[in-house]
Amino acid sequence: MNRKNTLYLRRRFVNGFNLTLSMVTVAFALFFLGWILLTLIEHGFGDISLATFTQMTPPPGSEGGLLNAIVGSLLMVAVATLIGTPVGILAGTYLAEFGKTGWLAPGTRFINDILLSGPSIVIGLFVYELVVHRVGHFSGWAGAIALSLIVIPVVVRTSENMLLLVPNSLREAAAALGAPQWKVVMFVSYRAAKAGIITGILLAVARIFGETAPLLFTALNNQFWNTDMNAPMASLAVIIFQFAMSPYEDWHHLAWAGALLITLLVLGLNILARALFRRDVTHG
Amino acid sequence: MVELHLAKPHDIHPEDFQGTQMNTPNKLLVRELNFYYGKFHALKNINLGIPSKKVTAFIGPSGCGKSTLLRTFNRMYQLYPGQRAEGEILLDGRNILDKKEDLNLLRAKVGMVFQKPTPFPMSIYDNIAFGVKLYERLSKSEMDDRVEWALKKAALWNEVKDKLDQNGTSLSGGQQQRLCIARGIAVKPEVLLLDEPCSALDPISTARIEELVHELKHDYTIVIVTHNMQQAARVSDYTAYMYLGELIEMGDTDTMFTKPTRKETEDYITGKFG
Repeated sequence: MNRKNTLYLRRRFVNGFNLTLSMVTVAFALFFLGWILLTLIEHGFGDISLATFTQMTPPPGSEGGLLNAIVGSLLMVAVATLIGTPVGILAGTYLAEFGKTGWLAPGTRFINDILLSGPSIVIGLFVYELVVHRVGHFSGWAGAIALSLIVIPVVVRTSENMLLLVPNSLREAAAALGAPQWKVVMFVSYRAAKAGIITGILLAVARIFGETAPLLFTALNNQFWNTDMNAPMASLAVIIFQFAMSPYEDWHHLAWAGALLITLLVLGLNILARALFRRDVTHG
Repeated sequence: MVELHLAKPHDIHPEDFQGTQMNTPNKLLVRELNFYYGKFHALKNINLGIPSKKVTAFIGPSGCGKSTLLRTFNRMYQLYPGQRAEGEILLDGRNILDKKEDLNLLRAKVGMVFQKPTPFPMSIYDNIAFGVKLYERLSKSEMDDRVEWALKKAALWNEVKDKLDQNGTSLSGGQQQRLCIARGIAVKPEVLLLDEPCSALDPISTARIEELVHELKHDYTIVIVTHNMQQAARVSDYTAYMYLGELIEMGDTDTMFTKPTRKETEDYITGKFG
């Protein structure tokens, strides 16, 4: 083999160098992720017990759990998803399917991008001004509205992107049968983009489960059992924030437990989203 | 072959070659058609007739406008802003380019099959039922019959009759394309437009589709765009040769392939060019 010339050797060297570099960066990123997860499990695992799921958040110095915070989080996330998802999907549909001409679609897309990357504390303050200030008290509704404002841009973006992935030939084929545009969208585009859109919703849900800032000014917190959306409401994220900053040892334990719970939930949602998307991609 | 096509396009009087050239009535008649992609002038003053219940092939090198012409017959171009057609296309005497013509009703009458198979992401049964449901209200058993009829017409029934609830995308490429043809004929159109229907298929699937075209021309007016001249020679009754947005020559396929009138056509057909 007369292949050992300098050009080939150089190429092999550059290839090896780049490969090593990218593997080192992957290891670097994974190392910290793994570290966070391990720390959480190490501290939080021992603190999760049956009481965590059956008892209310305690005053300092006594036993308790996270039940009201878990229920509060679930309620507000559910309402926020119910508000945000239809709005997000419809707006994303407009951007991908209808807004081909004019200024409305590019304008919406631009504003949506700003919302997508906007700091969530600003959204919290905005809803404080809009709802809490006017009504006169903190409430679960205000928290859900703030969270829905975070859901919307995520769902708009993923819905649009997933619909744009649907090949135009499919739309043409449906239109060629004489289907009006709304039927093309309903029965062909949505079906083809279903897995992607659901993935987007799941990722948005995972995102708002961990949001603290928008809830601080809206739902505030609640030490007691509460399912009334009109009253201040506890949430896992805010409880973690409050308990971790406190000087009390048993509150710290509950904060670790809550942090582990949220992380597992977000991890689970992400895995579910990934599995759904993959199943649909491979099996059409 | 009638000498009319030797004349400059604007000298052609479409009434003259209706019936005389083809010995059959024209299903579609194109008059002084111009087409634009934005500023680009893609079709230049096209005049031609598509005879009823025959197969007409459009041939020509890439970019000559044959697909563009085909896509004016069901106004497919209207999905895209910036594309527009001027002139007249008469379907049974009615100008389909008229803004007042209902676009969806037109497309129900003029079916289309595309280059790449485009099964919808739904079951084989629903792929066919989708188009039928748009314009007809059928009972379950009538729909079953229609699906079976269409799949039999498209020579696919035997291969899929036991898995009608499977996703259309699970079929092979050739089967998918026959599914698309079945879907197109299930709505009982009058004209079937085939836009390079075999270019993504293997030779065996291609042969099956060609047989199918032979079969279908008893009931439908078929227009096929093809890159493959042998295919045009095999399946079509009439052939139109296009080049750079102009219709160079049209005539019955035998004449076109044995003694074309225009030098350009001969060069293309014999492979000297293109």
